[in-house]
Amino acid sequence: MLNFIARRLVNMFFLLIVVSFVGFWIIQLPPGSILDVQIQRLRMQGGNLPESMIQALRDRYGVDDPFYIQYWKWISRSLQGDFGTSFETDQKVAERIYNRLGISFGLSLTALLFTWLVAIPIGVYSATHRYSWPDYLITFVQFLGLSIPGFLLALILLITASRLWDQPIGGLFSPQYADAPWSLAKLWDFIRHVWIAIVVLAIGATAGLTRVMRANLLDVLNMQYIQTARAKGLKESTVIWKHAVRNAIHPLVMSLGTLLPALVVGETLIAIILSLPTIGPLYLDALRSQDMYLAGTILVMLSALLLVGNLIADLLLAWVDPRVRLE
Amino acid sequence: MTNVATGTGTAATGTQIVSEDDVVRVEDLRLSFYTTLGVVRALNGVSFNIPRGKVLGVVGESGCGKSQTGLSIMQLTPGRIEGGRILFREFNTSEVVDITKLEKNGPEMRKIRGNHISMIFQEPMTSLNPCYTVGYQIEEAILLHQTQDKAEARRRAVDILRKVGMPNPERIADSYPHQLSGGMRQRAMIAMALSCTPTLLIADEPTTALDVTTEAQILDLMRDLQNEIGTSIMFITHNMGVVAQMCDEVAVMYLGRIIERAAVDDIFYDPKHPYTISLLRSIPRLGVARGQKLESIKGTVPDPYSTVPGCPFHPRCPAAIPGLCDAVMPDETFVAGSRTHTVRCHLYT
Repeated sequence: MLNFIARRLVNMFFLLIVVSFVGFWIIQLPPGSILDVQIQRLRMQGGNLPESMIQALRDRYGVDDPFYIQYWKWISRSLQGDFGTSFETDQKVAERIYNRLGISFGLSLTALLFTWLVAIPIGVYSATHRYSWPDYLITFVQFLGLSIPGFLLALILLITASRLWDQPIGGLFSPQYADAPWSLAKLWDFIRHVWIAIVVLAIGATAGLTRVMRANLLDVLNMQYIQTARAKGLKESTVIWKHAVRNAIHPLVMSLGTLLPALVVGETLIAIILSLPTIGPLYLDALRSQDMYLAGTILVMLSALLLVGNLIADLLLAWVDPRVRLE
Repeated sequence: MTNVATGTGTAATGTQIVSEDDVVRVEDLRLSFYTTLGVVRALNGVSFNIPRGKVLGVVGESGCGKSQTGLSIMQLTPGRIEGGRILFREFNTSEVVDITKLEKNGPEMRKIRGNHISMIFQEPMTSLNPCYTVGYQIEEAILLHQTQDKAEARRRAVDILRKVGMPNPERIADSYPHQLSGGMRQRAMIAMALSCTPTLLIADEPTTALDVTTEAQILDLMRDLQNEIGTSIMFITHNMGVVAQMCDEVAVMYLGRIIERAAVDDIFYDPKHPYTISLLRSIPRLGVARGQKLESIKGTVPDPYSTVPGCPFHPRCPAAIPGLCDAVMPDETFVAGSRTHTVRCHLYT
């Protein structure tokens, strides 16, 4: 097993190099560069800019280099842990990302946890009570959850909540807590700010996964070994949770691989609406302004997340199902 | 009349279990499936008994209700039991329970399942849970019914695996089902079914999915264990060859009814019901002249949603008596001169 993980990690490393190269290439494909934008701005502020100064800036940012040299500059330093400086704000890329990464991750993981905690029991109930009225109700709500776009739901919730009670709009903290040390009051303030994001993130995924769980469990419940378990004299709840769910949960485990990055980026639109400082909006800005180092770093991180998610999913699956275990 | 209930639904009077020697007595069992297409009457008054320590073969075509009869005894059928009784008596007790009166997944029913009555299914490839080791799945039943001690349960599981002829039972106990062959899995299933030394074992076509060599081994094994433990077996099959090898008595089913019941020799050497006769003629045999065509039973089993008036076999019966067989349902009667051979046919009334 250790051998398997080591091999996967080595593969991941090379895969990330390829992904970063291709990603970097695509990002610089559109004409123009971040420098053109900045020169434009400087000109508007201070009139004429001497050609020598522009040249100095060009040299500094290296925008005239072919992209593979830019790429090499960035990737060689990245491997040493220095992701470069953001063209746009002159901040270190690492700083800009890490501030937001924690929040993105926290939100996504909470949403993921919420999704699983809701999707599995409801899916199981729905499958074991097929064609009863609660099952129809669950199905109806699921289709609602699947079909309402997340941003619309976020807006509706935001407006409703702010009308009905004192829902804070935007940001992560109220001003008085922003720089305060962590306390219960601050935590509560935080929850009040982010619950909409979590609910909206979770609802779409929950609706889908509940459906998958139901369909799979219905298949598994027809399997002969379920009858065997019943014939042994096991309680129906043991039959369901111990013998059936474990065999029906594969797709949920596998979905973890793709869900992780999807949740991190998927919140972009919602984060913009709720003005939450997460990775999504930052990524969008970086792409729009061709902030190469920043965009490239985020891209590589998302790819890494996808690969790590898949590795975790594979390990979990091996734990759940002995048939996929490697000898 | 000893072992036979009348076919009309009034069971023999005053019965709990008529004979001391019966472990199960099914009386006038009726089972229906309510589907979107209509009602399927799967069992229309099935009555039989299984004597202690004997093997009863239940044979018939697909869809005749033999599997559903077995599942009904376990209360595992998805259909609805609409009438009749299933009287069951555990080894060495005089207490008789009517299984149809027990709550389907209630504690009394669960105490019987796997403990006093256990079941083996047709598909050894899928009847073990792929997520748990073979040993664990056997221990599960032992822990449920026999002992709370995990080490003891493990010891018994390995013991029973050894008993069913597994080489290296400790290693097998730690294997997952996908690591075993079909024959090995069926042995494991038998081990699981016998782990609590049940009074009755219901074997639903246990060798149909196996190759002939393995089939012979499994049948030998079941015979040996049956002699050793004294378990009664209800052996559901459509293979007459297996019946000849395994069974003491045979019940032939057609469309949810038992149409003939006799000792195994009587069924093979002196079959009475036209259906049984045709069934036996449709088996290929050694020594029969080459080139001679194998007989088949004409027609097909009627549509399950419809009901056939009179004897259910009359549309396919070569000896049907017009005006009688297509109008009146024959009662179950003893064949003249026998106390064990019964048949449900107008030819013998």
